Amino acid sequence: MFLSTERSWVQQAVVYGLLIMGLVIVVVPFLLMISTSLKPQQYTFEYPPRLIPSEVSFTNYVQAMGKDLFFRYFLNSLLVAVLTTATTLLISSMLAYAFARLDFPGKEPLFYLFLVGMMIPPVTLIIPQFLVVKALKLYDSYAGLVIVYVAMSLAMQTFLLRGFFEGIPGELEDAVRIDGGSPWTIFWRLILPLSRPGLATVTIFTFLYSWDEFPWAHVAIKETTRRTLPIAIALFQNQHLTQWGQVFAASIVALLPVVLVFALFQRHFIRGIATTGMKG
Amino acid sequence: MKRKEWTVVMMSSLLIVGLVLASCGPTPTSAPEPTAPSQAVEEPTKAPSPTEAPAKETVTYWHTMSDAEVEAMEEVIAMFEAEHPNIQVEMTRYAYDDFKSALLTSLAGGEGPDTARLDIIWVPEFAELEALVALDEAMPDFDQIAANTFPGPLATNHWQGHYYGLPQDTNTQVLLWNKDLFDAAGISAPPATMEEFAEVACTLSKGEEQYGYAMGGTYFWAPAPIFYSMGGKVVDDGITTADGFINGPESVAAFQMLTDLYNDGCLSPNLLGGGIGTADGHATGLYAMIVDGPWMVDIYKADYPDFEVNFAPIPTGPDGTTSSVVGGENIVVFDGSEHQEAAMEWTRFLLTEEAQLKMAERGVIPVLSTVIGDPSLPDYFGVFLEQLKTAQARVPHPKWGDMDGAINNAYQRMLRGEQTVQEALDQAAQEINALLAE
Amino acid sequence: MKARPSLMERCLAVPSRIYRARTAYLFLLPGLVLFVLFLIYPMAYSLRISFYDWNVIKPLKSEFVGLDNYKALLADPIFRRAVLNTLAYTAITVPAQMILALAVAILLDQRIRGKTFFRVAYYLPVITSWVIVTLIFEYLFNSQAGLINYLLRDLLGLVGEPIRWLADPILTMVPINLLGIWKGVGWSAIILLAALQAIPAELLEAAAIDGADPWRRLQHVTLPLLRPTLVFLLVVLVIGGLNLYISVLLMTNGGQPLDLTHSVLTLMYKETFDRLNFGGGAAISYLLTAFVFVVSLVQIRLLRQRVEQ
Repeated sequence: MFLSTERSWVQQAVVYGLLIMGLVIVVVPFLLMISTSLKPQQYTFEYPPRLIPSEVSFTNYVQAMGKDLFFRYFLNSLLVAVLTTATTLLISSMLAYAFARLDFPGKEPLFYLFLVGMMIPPVTLIIPQFLVVKALKLYDSYAGLVIVYVAMSLAMQTFLLRGFFEGIPGELEDAVRIDGGSPWTIFWRLILPLSRPGLATVTIFTFLYSWDEFPWAHVAIKETTRRTLPIAIALFQNQHLTQWGQVFAASIVALLPVVLVFALFQRHFIRGIATTGMKG
Repeated sequence: MKRKEWTVVMMSSLLIVGLVLASCGPTPTSAPEPTAPSQAVEEPTKAPSPTEAPAKETVTYWHTMSDAEVEAMEEVIAMFEAEHPNIQVEMTRYAYDDFKSALLTSLAGGEGPDTARLDIIWVPEFAELEALVALDEAMPDFDQIAANTFPGPLATNHWQGHYYGLPQDTNTQVLLWNKDLFDAAGISAPPATMEEFAEVACTLSKGEEQYGYAMGGTYFWAPAPIFYSMGGKVVDDGITTADGFINGPESVAAFQMLTDLYNDGCLSPNLLGGGIGTADGHATGLYAMIVDGPWMVDIYKADYPDFEVNFAPIPTGPDGTTSSVVGGENIVVFDGSEHQEAAMEWTRFLLTEEAQLKMAERGVIPVLSTVIGDPSLPDYFGVFLEQLKTAQARVPHPKWGDMDGAINNAYQRMLRGEQTVQEALDQAAQEINALLAE
Repeated sequence: MKARPSLMERCLAVPSRIYRARTAYLFLLPGLVLFVLFLIYPMAYSLRISFYDWNVIKPLKSEFVGLDNYKALLADPIFRRAVLNTLAYTAITVPAQMILALAVAILLDQRIRGKTFFRVAYYLPVITSWVIVTLIFEYLFNSQAGLINYLLRDLLGLVGEPIRWLADPILTMVPINLLGIWKGVGWSAIILLAALQAIPAELLEAAAIDGADPWRRLQHVTLPLLRPTLVFLLVVLVIGGLNLYISVLLMTNGGQPLDLTHSVLTLMYKETFDRLNFGGGAAISYLLTAFVFVVSLVQIRLLRQRVEQ
């Protein structure tokens, strides 16, 4: 855009230079994290701080992952994140389709109400949400986690998808309708397949949210074998001592799936954002 | 126009629906509770052997124990279940920082545990909320069991005439001194009196490389051992006033000494936040002395295996006696529990010698006076048990959290030079009195 | 257009309109049910308990106190300080994120190699949880052994004494704000990148042919076209800023020192779960939500009008 068709090497150098400077700022904290995870506890606070450990040791990883059902927590998080993402995709796309394409009384006010939902700080709702989950007999179950995660994601994801659906040309739908297709057919066979970028966006956001969520996961699940990863990481912080190396080791392991998901979906994701409601 | 009207109508109707739901909400969940205690009182006439129901009962037990403690507890549970084939104990571990919120949320939702290992300072708060069963009423053998426990820890269960729990474990803080640093400075033994302590702290301080003494923070638990050893008191025995106590001459002297040490560079500035923790600093030779508890043995074994920890009693105050602060946890039974009898069985078991000695293997100090001197107790317990004879409990009051905050803030103000020690403690006294009056 | 029907006529027409719209309602149903159960009901519940001295264990024993919780809050200097901290954080981090994100997006939009690598790298802070990021920054800003002090003192010689970041109520804001910016830039950058890619190349080429240099092209072609996205970002980032929570909770241990470093939400947490003042905590969350709502509404109204030009 800036460079249009010319490509002076000075401009190239400037661009790369700036990007790399920014990269350093972005990445150094992570390098620190990796470096600390490779040091035994006694070197955690060595001064002057060393980015490259004097002795590389994997004990932190071994201890962190061998501890307390770490992999179990990892799998639980994965299960919950996948279920949450799938359910959110379905329900929010249904909502978005109704808002984008169907007409009904109370449409605009209802949409504004959903927007208000985006503004409520989640942590303030924990106790009443607990009461509801308990009334539905979903306490201490994966379903209890998923259902609240989905509910909390709906507002934002519906908003995104609505914008996206509005961008799909109406003639395509008319064609299906003329052939006798019901709104559901239109939705399922036309809209959704055309919406891959938008759905990719929703996938990344929802997966991320579910993977990292802590306050609700901490109270909604009691049974140790059903807990999720953020709880495992929190448990490394003893009352008396923080095992920094292990915390960081566990955090790095926890980061890998999200990095993977993002790397896989990012191209669709970016295209998706370009055509979602984020442009207004 | 049309849009606005609809908006108003929709919003208000949804809000009304929600409010209606909210009004129906809390009441049903609170109904089942009142019946439970009355049942518990009727049972005692049966023989001491447990379990009424033939079917297997599960007692839930929530805690914040460390890995090592959990291992020992698993064995305790195995022993219990062997003796009580009809009761199963299910324990769940929570992160310490979030335990209170998890507990409250679950209790609010009627899904609280049957029993829990609560920090002793929370017992009055939960008792005030009517969340706990008064064990002195519900357990017929309460007096017998209580008689065998240390009076200090037992007292932390007391609130408004009743005991709402039993001590499960206790601990206190003693002096930890880094022998290598002492040897290097030619000091052969840890300080025995407070004057020696202040001297040694400064002798062993070298700019930023080394500090003679370090504290974990400014919350009351940190200065408490020195505070109590120097004769300080927070409130009077009847817990009616703080004036003349938290700001009394001994208390002021204690905080003055600490503030002077700080200003002279002998007390590490990490206590104000953001520095290196006491445990790490002590093991790496940054802090020559700290005060801490028995758990440090297992912690150092795991994270600093080459470090040899040395304990000593808290130095004596002006009247020649030592003291420290009592910590620990109590076992409580929740009022909403539907397995109160079984829960109390579990409680009883935790106070048997076998259970207490099993936990002692992992550095958990027992609360039974009868096990003192048992050969199976780890050696390092000696100094702690000795210290426990004179250690004092903090104020057993539901508002202790806020009182701690008042003292914490006072200490901060002194260290930052915003107030003199006397002024800061006078303010704390006022704030504490206001809390007592509520 | 024909004459608008009266209110009564419209109300009477509702039933048949609802019937005809039944498909729509079916699409809406699952989402709406979840929304009412987990958002509307909890909000209403929260509102209700904010008028009580709420006993969370035995709700029936709660005492009705009317507006007392609210009054106590507004008079409380700690609350006011928390509001100040939160507003300051928002005022600092939001513009910083947007400006830096725009720069990054423009750079990433150029024809360079390793696009995916850069995008993933810049997005890393976004996908890392708040808890982990806060721990990293706590570690970075450790006053005795942290990298930042090492840089400032030993490598660059800018300060003589180690800065005690987390011990000072104002200095604590530095790592917290930096953290917020560091974590958020990638998110806005990716969104702006997408928006930039949607700008037709012909517009920019036309401007270039007309002799406009890159800065003028940016000002007169790019930014106006980006406006809707920028407005969106502004609204969402402000909401995020006002909801400042986990980083403060962990770094300051809940408002230390002296309760001067609270954000509105950490204060709410302390009131609710530490001091067991559930009614007061609910009042705080209501005030915050109301404030966020008003601010967002104002922003959208003000800025939307200009967009439509």
